[in-house]
Amino acid sequence: MEAPVTFDASRLGIPVEIGRIDKELGKLWESSDDSKTRASLINFVIHTGDPASLAADTEIISTIAAKHACRAILIFSNPGAPESSAQAWINAHCHQTGKGDRQLCSEQITFRLDGESAHALPNIVFSHLDSDLPLCLWWQGDLPEPLDDTLWAWVDRLIYDSAEWTNPMHQFSMVRHLTAGRKGTVLCDLNWTRLQPWRYALASLFDHAAAFPKLAKVESVEIDLNHNSRTSALLLLGWFACQLGWTANGSASEFLTADSRRVAFRIGENTNHGRNAALIRCDEAEFELALGVDSDFFEAAIRISGVSESRQILPAPRRNMTDTLLAELSRAGRHPLYTKSLEKILPLLGR
Amino acid sequence: MPTEPFQSNPLRDGLNLRSIPDPCSLVIFGASGDLTHRKLVPALYNLAADGALPQAISVVGFARRDKTSEVFRKELGEAVRKFSRQAVNDELWENFSNSITYHRSEFDNPEGYVSLARHLEEIDAARGTRGNRLFYLAAAPDQFEVILENLRKSGLNKPAPGSWARVIVEKPFGTDLPSARRLNDLVESAFDESQTYRIDHYLGKETAQNIMVMRFANAIFEAMWNSRYIDHVQITASEPLGVEGRAGYYDKSGALRDMVQNHLLQLLCLTAMEPPAGLDADSIRDEKVKVLRSLRPLAGEEVFRHVVRAQYGAGGVNGKRVAAYRDELNVNPESNTETYVALEVNVDNWRWAGVPFFIRVGKRLPKGGTEIAVQFKSVPPVLFRATGESVDDNVLVIRIQPDEGISLRMCAKMPGSSLRIEPVKMDFHYGTSFGKATPEAYERLLLDAMSGDATLFARRDEVEEAWKFIDAIHEAWSTRANDLAIYSAGAWGPSEADELIKRHGATWRRL
Repeated sequence: MEAPVTFDASRLGIPVEIGRIDKELGKLWESSDDSKTRASLINFVIHTGDPASLAADTEIISTIAAKHACRAILIFSNPGAPESSAQAWINAHCHQTGKGDRQLCSEQITFRLDGESAHALPNIVFSHLDSDLPLCLWWQGDLPEPLDDTLWAWVDRLIYDSAEWTNPMHQFSMVRHLTAGRKGTVLCDLNWTRLQPWRYALASLFDHAAAFPKLAKVESVEIDLNHNSRTSALLLLGWFACQLGWTANGSASEFLTADSRRVAFRIGENTNHGRNAALIRCDEAEFELALGVDSDFFEAAIRISGVSESRQILPAPRRNMTDTLLAELSRAGRHPLYTKSLEKILPLLGR
Repeated sequence: MPTEPFQSNPLRDGLNLRSIPDPCSLVIFGASGDLTHRKLVPALYNLAADGALPQAISVVGFARRDKTSEVFRKELGEAVRKFSRQAVNDELWENFSNSITYHRSEFDNPEGYVSLARHLEEIDAARGTRGNRLFYLAAAPDQFEVILENLRKSGLNKPAPGSWARVIVEKPFGTDLPSARRLNDLVESAFDESQTYRIDHYLGKETAQNIMVMRFANAIFEAMWNSRYIDHVQITASEPLGVEGRAGYYDKSGALRDMVQNHLLQLLCLTAMEPPAGLDADSIRDEKVKVLRSLRPLAGEEVFRHVVRAQYGAGGVNGKRVAAYRDELNVNPESNTETYVALEVNVDNWRWAGVPFFIRVGKRLPKGGTEIAVQFKSVPPVLFRATGESVDDNVLVIRIQPDEGISLRMCAKMPGSSLRIEPVKMDFHYGTSFGKATPEAYERLLLDAMSGDATLFARRDEVEEAWKFIDAIHEAWSTRANDLAIYSAGAWGPSEADELIKRHGATWRRL
C-alpha cells in the first residue's frame, strides 16, 4: 500500500467545489476594487506528481503572471491513491502595472486529483481553459503512459525538462510520437532553453573571420556539464553536429563529417572541479568555454598552437527554473534547431 | 567529398530570431556629443548585453576634443550607467568597452581621416572586423559636408572587396527642399543610396513598426481601412517640455520642420500606405513615397485655411509657472517661430478620398504622448434614436509613446433592465502583454544598419517629397506675420486649432 501523500493546501487560496469554480472566480472579481483588472493571454497549465512542489509551483505562477498574464491551472494528480476524490482551490496573483496603482491580476485554479479522478485530467483542463487562448502545458517529470491523445492534441506548447527524465531515450521517443504528423504542438524542452547561453557563447567564439573556417576541421569535442545530466551535454553536442552537418558513427564515440572525417567526442565526465566546460580542438587550435559554479560569465579562450592565446568573457545569465520558463514563454515560435539536434543524438541516448 | 569551407559562422544559423550582423567598426563623428552619450552608446551596450552584437565589433569615437581612449571610455561608462534601459553589469561593460577607442581630429583635417583609416585597419587585424565600416554622422549638421568630403577623399567610403561601408545620417535632413537636395547630393557624392541610412528614430519605435503588422496581418482592420468606414484620422505628438536648451536650433526650425516633416509625415505614411509588394526596404518605401506624392499640396491662401501655427505664452505646466517661448533663454524676443502646429492634410487617392488627416504637434502642452487615432464613421442614427441614447463612434488608437499599445473604443450596453449605452475600451499594452521591455528605437536602428536593412530608414525621395509639402507651407507663412496664434503654456493649443477640426464636425482627442 502506498504511503499517504503529505499535501499542504495553505497557499493554494480558497477551497471551492469544482462545479462552482467559474462562479466563485466571478465573485472574487466582483468583490475586488476597481484598481484590479483580470488579464489573460495564455492558459498556463502545470502538472505535477509531487505534492511538495505545489508551493514552489504557486510561487512560479505568481512570478510568471507578472510578465505573462494568464489563466493558470495547477494540477497535482495521484492516480495511485486508493480513494478517488477531486478537490479545487482558487487564487489570484495581482501585480502593479506601470507607475499607477492599477493592478493586473491572473487567476490560478489548483486541482488535487486522487485515484480514479486522475483520469479526468483532460476534462478538468478543457473545462477550465480561457477560450481562444493558447494552451501551454508544463508536464513535470516523466511523461505518462499511455499518452492520452485527447489531452495532447489540444496543447499548443508542451513544456518539459528532459534533464529530469529517468529514461531519456524512451521519453524522447514518446515526445516524437506526440508530434508525429501533428504540426500544431511546439516542443519546449527546458533543458534546451537552459543551454541557450552556451549556444550563444560557443557561436560567438567562432565569429572571427579567422575562426569560423576552422569549424570545417574540428577534430574533437569535449563537453563537461555537471549542473545537470548527460542529456544536457548530449543536446549541446547534438546542436554542434546539426550545425556542422555531422552524423553519429554507429556505436563509436564519434561523428562523421560530410567528407567522412571522424570527429571524436567525450561528454559528461566532469573533472574540472565543478567548472562546466566545452573544448573544441581543430586544426592546431583550441576553443574553450568554461563556466565556474557561481559565475555570471563564461571564460572563453582561443589558443592557436604556438602562436597566440586570446581570452574574453561573455555573459552567462544565471537562470533558476522561473527564469528558464520566462525565457521559454517569451520566445514565440517553434524550435527547429532543437528538433534537428535531437535527431542527431537519438542514436547516442541509449549508451 | 571534401567539406565546403564555411562562408560564415555556421553556429550562428538559426540561433537568433534575427541574424547577428557582420562584425564591423562603427565610427561616430561627434562622439563628444549628447546623442552619443544618451542614446548611441547605451543602445550599443544593451545590444551587447542581449547578445545581439557580434563579438568582433569596435566603436571609434571621432571628435575634436583632446582626450584619451581611456578617458572617453570612462565618460561613456558614466553615461551608460545613467541612460541604459537595463542595469549595467560592470564586468560586461568592461568587456564591451574594450572595443571602444577615441580618435581625436578636427572634422576638416584630412590627416585625421588618413590616420582614422590606419586605425581601422589595425582594428580589422586585431579584432576581425573584416573591413566593414559604419559611419555615424552624429555631429552638428553644418559639419556633415566636411566629414563626407573627407571620407570620400580618404577613400574610407569605398569598401574593400567583400566588405561594406555605410553611413548613417542623423536628422535634420536639411532645413528645406533645396538644402535637403544639397545634403543628399553631398551624401551621394561619397555613398550610394544603398549605403545611406537616414535615421528617423520614430520609425524604430516598436509601435510604429507594429502599424504595418496590425494593418496587414489582421483582416478585420484592413477591410475597413478606407474612406467608406473611416471619418478622419488624428495624429498627435504633444510634449509638456519647452525648448530645453535647444533654443538655438529650434528657433530657426519650429515645430513644422522639427517634427512634421519627418516623424509625423512618416507616421501618416505608415497609416495611409497601400500594402507593399514585399517586406523588403524598397517595396515599403515605394508605398510611403506614393502617399507623400498623393498629399494635396497646400499653398497660398489654402495654407491659412488648413494650417494653424501658434506659440506658447506664459502659463503653468505640471503645477509650475513657465515662461513664454519668447522669454526663454537664447530665443529671439520677437520670434515668430511656431511651437505648435495643427494641419488638415488630405491624401488624394481612392482609399482616402474625403478622409482628412489632422496632425498636431506642440510644446508646453498638458501632457506628453504620441498617438494615431483612427476615428470611424458613425453608425446610421436609426436603431437607438428612439431610446435617446447617444452612440459614440469607434476609435482605434495606436499609442506610439509612452505606454505603447493599441486600444479600441466601442459601445456596450450597461447592465440593467433599461437600454443604456456606454463606450468601453479594449486595451492592448505592449508592456503587460509581452512581459519584456521594448528595446530603445536606437537599438533596433543601429542593428538594422549593421545588418544592411534599410526598411526603417528614410530614402532620398521620401525626404525630398516631404520637404516639398512642408516648404509650400513655409512659403505662405513668410508672406504674413500676423497669423501666429498664442496659447497659454499648459493648454491644449490655441482655439484656432479647435476651429480647424470643428469645421469637419470633430474635436481633438483628449490624450
